[in-house]
Amino acid sequence: MPNRQSWRAWLLLAPGLATLAVLLLYPLYRVTQLSFQDFGLRELNLGGAAWIGLGNYQQLLEDERLWQIVLPNTVGFAVVNVALTVIFGTLVALLLFRLGPWMRGIVTTAIMAAWAVPAVTGTYAWVFIFDSRRGPAMRLMDWLGLADPDTTNWFDDRLTFFAIATINVVHHGFPFVAVTVLAGLMTVPKDVIEAATIDGANAWRRFWHITFPTLKPVFAVVTILSTIWDFKVFTQIYLMPGGDGLNREVLNLGTWSYITSFGQQEYGLGAALAVMLTAVLLIITVLYLRVIFREEEL
Amino acid sequence: MRLRRLGVGLAVLGLMAPACGGDDGGGQQTLEEESDEITPGDYEGETLDVWIMQGTNPDATPFFDQVSSAFTEQTGADLNVQFVEWANAYDKFTTGIAGGELPDVAEVGTTWTPGFADAGGLVDLTDRIEQAGLTDDVVPELLDTGELDGALYGMPWYSGVRSIVYRTDILAKANVQPPASWDELADACAALKAAEPDMVPFPIAGGSEYGVDPFIWGAGGEIASESGGQWTATLDSQESREGISYYTGLATDGDCSTPQASTWDETDLSEAFSAGDAAMIIAGSWTPKALIEANPDLAGKIGVFPIPGPDGGLSPSFLGGSHMGIFNTTDEDKLELAWHFVEMMTTGEFAKQWAQQTGFFPPESSQLEQMEAADDPLVSPFVTQVLEAGATVPVTPAYSKIQGNATMTAMLNSILTGKASVEEATATATQEMNDVFANG
Repeated sequence: MPNRQSWRAWLLLAPGLATLAVLLLYPLYRVTQLSFQDFGLRELNLGGAAWIGLGNYQQLLEDERLWQIVLPNTVGFAVVNVALTVIFGTLVALLLFRLGPWMRGIVTTAIMAAWAVPAVTGTYAWVFIFDSRRGPAMRLMDWLGLADPDTTNWFDDRLTFFAIATINVVHHGFPFVAVTVLAGLMTVPKDVIEAATIDGANAWRRFWHITFPTLKPVFAVVTILSTIWDFKVFTQIYLMPGGDGLNREVLNLGTWSYITSFGQQEYGLGAALAVMLTAVLLIITVLYLRVIFREEEL
Repeated sequence: MRLRRLGVGLAVLGLMAPACGGDDGGGQQTLEEESDEITPGDYEGETLDVWIMQGTNPDATPFFDQVSSAFTEQTGADLNVQFVEWANAYDKFTTGIAGGELPDVAEVGTTWTPGFADAGGLVDLTDRIEQAGLTDDVVPELLDTGELDGALYGMPWYSGVRSIVYRTDILAKANVQPPASWDELADACAALKAAEPDMVPFPIAGGSEYGVDPFIWGAGGEIASESGGQWTATLDSQESREGISYYTGLATDGDCSTPQASTWDETDLSEAFSAGDAAMIIAGSWTPKALIEANPDLAGKIGVFPIPGPDGGLSPSFLGGSHMGIFNTTDEDKLELAWHFVEMMTTGEFAKQWAQQTGFFPPESSQLEQMEAADDPLVSPFVTQVLEAGATVPVTPAYSKIQGNATMTAMLNSILTGKASVEEATATATQEMNDVFANG
């Protein structure tokens, strides 16, 4: 009775699908719909938004700010942060793998604390550390004679602003990578490693020829997730001094979309930005998956 | 009774129909002239939902307990007051508008009123405000900010203004008098810098729009001007540029500020002042109390002077504050009750008590003149600023979008950090504003 079988399967899937439809599909549909409308506070209250076709997209694509500031900031930040997060997370995982159970427990707890801290709290902590007046980082640099707190504001400059944001995001993101890769490392067959060691392979070669290929799916997952998180980073940028639109040089897709939607109440335009962000992310994810699994069937 | 219910039902349908059809003028309620007085017990069993901003009054709960019992005594209805944080109030209002979960009456920031009115969110109160006789006595800037297309949507409740708060001990040490002109202000910075090198004499905060506004107005400029209903930005006028150039020059060419301040907002200014890092700051009339609370050592060492004009006199300063507004979603038969509450809060004894407890100003000029005469050094200079040199940012729904886009502060920040000249930055900001004015 194949028919009855599939009917049952659908019945069992129904609650999950219904939840997804409410939580994911409807918002997705609504955002896409909004992106084709001229939708402001007035339309929110009274209804009757005008359809303007691709007008919002056209306005955004013609805005030179998108090409000169927003996209480079978003893409550049994501590339650097994903690379650093994955590399650092992997190094920490390798370290954890070599530690005894006690030390591993202590180090894991320490990095979990970094992960558990809410983004808001973490951001304020890093902002304080680099604050010009009272921040310990500035005091240290002053003491070393490398920076003058009276004439320096690291949040004004695009590069230093994003350097601080990078420290924050990597600090917050690497524990996930470390723990996931560690779980993967535990599954690498010991005898293969032993055999390689006996054959004279050093740690570097063992990593690249045995560990990395075995853990490829794990790296794929952490890289894709990090890409998605770092691409749509918002809180960590918005809460930094100047990140809320004051310093136009540090806008990214997330903050620009928020300021457009909720600062200017141009919900249609903001939705168009959000759709573009989603589309870019989907493309990156698909491309990346293809590269990673090019030999295998996906 | 049944007829009345039917009437209400029809009215509600009438309100909903245009909302679905998207008719622009639809759903608008107006409170016309009062017919008869409310007598005790008229609204037995009803509840009036009210949103009030948190933090304005440190002892808001006992105050509203008092208001609540007086309200119930007069009308029979219960009062349900909910406190809302300023920081997320705007989002709460907009999501409330989207979800239809608004209170009946709410405190609305004066710069938000035209926007909410334009969105069809507020009830037209023109007749009632005129009837209450407030139009003659109230500080004009406060009344005007609640106006849209000739109708009033906000009842003035309280106001606040920014002037310059300074450290009396530090100025005395540097042998500096409170400056009375722009040249004197620049000279004061130089003297303060020499006397107290570790302090910032007068930080110029890049994130504070209301800091630069007085200097634009003082130089005779305007942020934007209106003609025939169409607004045009005028930040690139000779006068506006002069004011902006002087103000930012205090930081870029003078001794007043520090590069750190380019990303500061008003909270950072207050923090720097109470930490003893700044000698003079532009601060609101409601702040001295909080500054002393943050650092009790400052008691007796704080003074205030109005923002000076270029060659003496005063520069106008932004007069902000709050309106009381009635939302369109209020049941038609509760409109009278809502107005009764608004009137209770904004006039007479409760308005006076509120002003005393919060350090904000009551809306009526006559009451303000009494306060000025009382000659409190932490109050009178602010009152002088309100009465002689109060001003307001453009009263149009578009301006709240411009503020949401951080146009003015981004302009300041780019000049203070040297990324743009005054000419370039004002041209960019003018362009940005005009785009918003043109597209609505």
